Amino acid sequence: MKKVILLLVVAGAAAAAVAVALARGPAPQAGNASSHREAPLIAEDPSADNTDLYAFRSPDKPDTFTIVSNWIPGEDPAAGPNYYTFSPSARYNVYLDRNGDGKPDVTFRVRFKRNAGQFFLGDTAQPYTVTKIVGGKSSVVATGTTPPDNIGPRSTPNYHDLATKGIFPLGGGGSVFAGQRDDPFFGDIGAIFDLVAIRKGVGNAGGGKDFFAGYAVHTIALQLPIADYDTTSHVIGVWSSTDRQVVTVAQTKVKVKGKTRVRVAKKVVWQQVSRLGNPLINEAVIPTDKKDLWNRLSPATDKQFEQYYTSPILAAVINKLYNLGVKESDRSDLEAVLLTGLKQPNLNYTGPTLADELRLNLSIPPTAPHKVNRMGVLGGDLAGYPNGRRLEDDVIDITEQAVAGALIGTNIPLGDGVNADDKGYLSSFPYANDPNAGFDNTKGEPKP
Amino acid sequence: MRIRLALALAVAAVAAGALLLGGLFRDSRGAVPAPPPEAAAGALENELGTGDTASLVRSLQATLRRDPRNVHSYDLLGLAYQQRARETGDPAYYTKSEGVLRRALSLASNDLLATSGLGSLALSRHRFREALALGRRARALSPTTARSYGVIGDALGELGRYRKAFAAFDRLARLRPGLAAYARVSYARELRGDFPGAVAAMRLAVDAAVDEPEPLAWTDVQLGKLYWSHGHLGPATRQFRAALEAYPGYVYGLDALAQVEAAHGRYARAIRLERRAVETIPLPQFVTTLGDLEHVTGHDRLARRQYALIGVIQRLLAANGVRTDLETALFDVDHGVRLSHTLALARLARRDRPSIDGDDVLAWALARTGHCGEALRFSERAFRLGTRDAPKDFHRGMIERCLKHDAQARLWFRRALDLNPHFSLLWAPVARRYAS
Repeated sequence: MKKVILLLVVAGAAAAAVAVALARGPAPQAGNASSHREAPLIAEDPSADNTDLYAFRSPDKPDTFTIVSNWIPGEDPAAGPNYYTFSPSARYNVYLDRNGDGKPDVTFRVRFKRNAGQFFLGDTAQPYTVTKIVGGKSSVVATGTTPPDNIGPRSTPNYHDLATKGIFPLGGGGSVFAGQRDDPFFGDIGAIFDLVAIRKGVGNAGGGKDFFAGYAVHTIALQLPIADYDTTSHVIGVWSSTDRQVVTVAQTKVKVKGKTRVRVAKKVVWQQVSRLGNPLINEAVIPTDKKDLWNRLSPATDKQFEQYYTSPILAAVINKLYNLGVKESDRSDLEAVLLTGLKQPNLNYTGPTLADELRLNLSIPPTAPHKVNRMGVLGGDLAGYPNGRRLEDDVIDITEQAVAGALIGTNIPLGDGVNADDKGYLSSFPYANDPNAGFDNTKGEPKP
Repeated sequence: MRIRLALALAVAAVAAGALLLGGLFRDSRGAVPAPPPEAAAGALENELGTGDTASLVRSLQATLRRDPRNVHSYDLLGLAYQQRARETGDPAYYTKSEGVLRRALSLASNDLLATSGLGSLALSRHRFREALALGRRARALSPTTARSYGVIGDALGELGRYRKAFAAFDRLARLRPGLAAYARVSYARELRGDFPGAVAAMRLAVDAAVDEPEPLAWTDVQLGKLYWSHGHLGPATRQFRAALEAYPGYVYGLDALAQVEAAHGRYARAIRLERRAVETIPLPQFVTTLGDLEHVTGHDRLARRQYALIGVIQRLLAANGVRTDLETALFDVDHGVRLSHTLALARLARRDRPSIDGDDVLAWALARTGHCGEALRFSERAFRLGTRDAPKDFHRGMIERCLKHDAQARLWFRRALDLNPHFSLLWAPVARRYAS
């Protein structure tokens, strides 16, 4: 559900920009409703909004792999007095598909509690429980507490140490971290449709500005022993999602000792409202009228969306803008990379089932941090996107070049001019960096 | 802010003797109560944005100057204008929103966002039949998109077609549970007299709103009002304070706290809070409450000035396509304004909006014009869902009293006061007097 604007910039050429989909970040509350209750209708539901998903072999612990799953787009560290938290009424899921059928074989499910009282300053530490579900059997594998949001040196001094205390062991092996992180995503979305912060002037000839610099997200990171999850093909599929409880108007009214009482259904019904596998699918691939549907479904049924992968809107947009003659239909190359994994070259193929998942080949060793190529596989670095996804991978440039035909022999140096995160990453788990403090925050874009 | 200028001019005109609401207080009988919670002029009673909307509008306008056929930008601009209406209280933004959304549809007649955006706009303008048609069109364009069911359900509810309205809310809740669905389910349960269920659903809404200050404040206020309407002053106050904590200066929080202060008899504080709300966004319901507060504290001259302002605001709303017949009728009946004319207005409003509130306002107008037998019929209709709402109980008490059913009347007055002893600044004392 990440909302992002893709800014396409032809390197070296006169710049033009186009916005695709809605902006990521605090979009306007454009909802509207009935005459007197006025409940918002287009609530953005940021606490259920998956922003990004990463899966990679841990560079410092190569016998493990790491999944970093992010929620809550565009957290402004200086947004007090109301600080960000996971929703206590939602269910946060990370799924592993070990046999390529698009269905979960292992589920990590995280539920957060609200700390007592309202969210006063500094009271954003949330207790949580991690449940692991395998074959219908669930067991609690960790309980932990998130570090509080990074408010500033007075409320949250020594933040890095504080955050490090937020790493907890997973029963059966591995570690978990949950809490606020610097948004590892980078990209220039300060374009014409930018709903968050408006760049002065349009057209960005290279030298793009990282819109996400300074903003934070909420992260659930898992580090897992490869030996426990490896498969015969060595490829696992990963996706994340958020569920919310379904409540309906009618409750059963029953008479108890002559008094009418309402019987509340004991069994909670959950509905998935957001999901994320490969980056930019919800924003750049799935059309507006299908977004709700797509977000409700699991990857196993993604065949129904096939046409949007083989005839991507983005290709048409690129042609309209630059007249590059990009192939607009029959894009089996994109379908393969996003829905089945790559067979040729043999990278991360999981079988014929079309399913939007990050596919990580656990047998490919991690690239040493100083040798990482931000273009991943397109740059000859097989340990990066679309083989899983590392924090360093420049998915906007990779996606634009792939859509332009990089996998079918057409190399066009599209890109957004932002090649790395401003803050860098940690060298060990959870890798995603500490968030900026609200106290001294400098963001990529000042709000006008 | 243009609306403030417009209001200032209009108020000056009032002062110059052009009394806009002729016969104000002609039939005052000394009782000038606050509106029940549902009497809000809804179009404006909505969330406030996070402050970026003005620059968003500028940016979208710039885009459209360069690319005047960009449907998606028209969609976003149309929604942004609706947001501006909420932020500023200036209904001229509704007119602008309609213009750009219609432009989007003229470029792409099947555009989903423009269609449902026009549906939302129609709801804001209290044009519920229009909203229903647009919601249904949006549903036909994309049956799997949750939002259309919110538009449909809201419209059906205001048209008094509750079974179908609740089914639409349930569909919304199954397709996309979240704040929008929870708040509607809570409201529906409240209408059905299911207070614990309504609280439970609104609590979920609060928990779903955690990361957006304004929606969080909005849900806090809604939950607080739910407690308030059932006489739970303490929990209500906590929610109102939480709202102001989440979103400092939140006008609906100020308005709600003003009523808490008044309930405790602290009128000076109440007036200060309500005045802050009115000065930020002059919504009719805030202005009414301020006028009522001034009236009960013996400042009738100040009160009359506020009441005169309401007529001006409603004219401004009407000029921008907002229907406020029901709200105007309730205000007029409550304040004894031109009652015979008001009865006609209430009938018209109820025809347009045959909800339980439409029934209740008409019943109240009939009672105050001496048509108590007919009033009883509509009051009975107003209770057809089993709703617990103190103002409706009070109206029923007045009807029974008028019909000389004195014992029945006392029961209804007590029922109102048992539910919420502070249900109305000025009618609650009347209920207390008649209950004994």
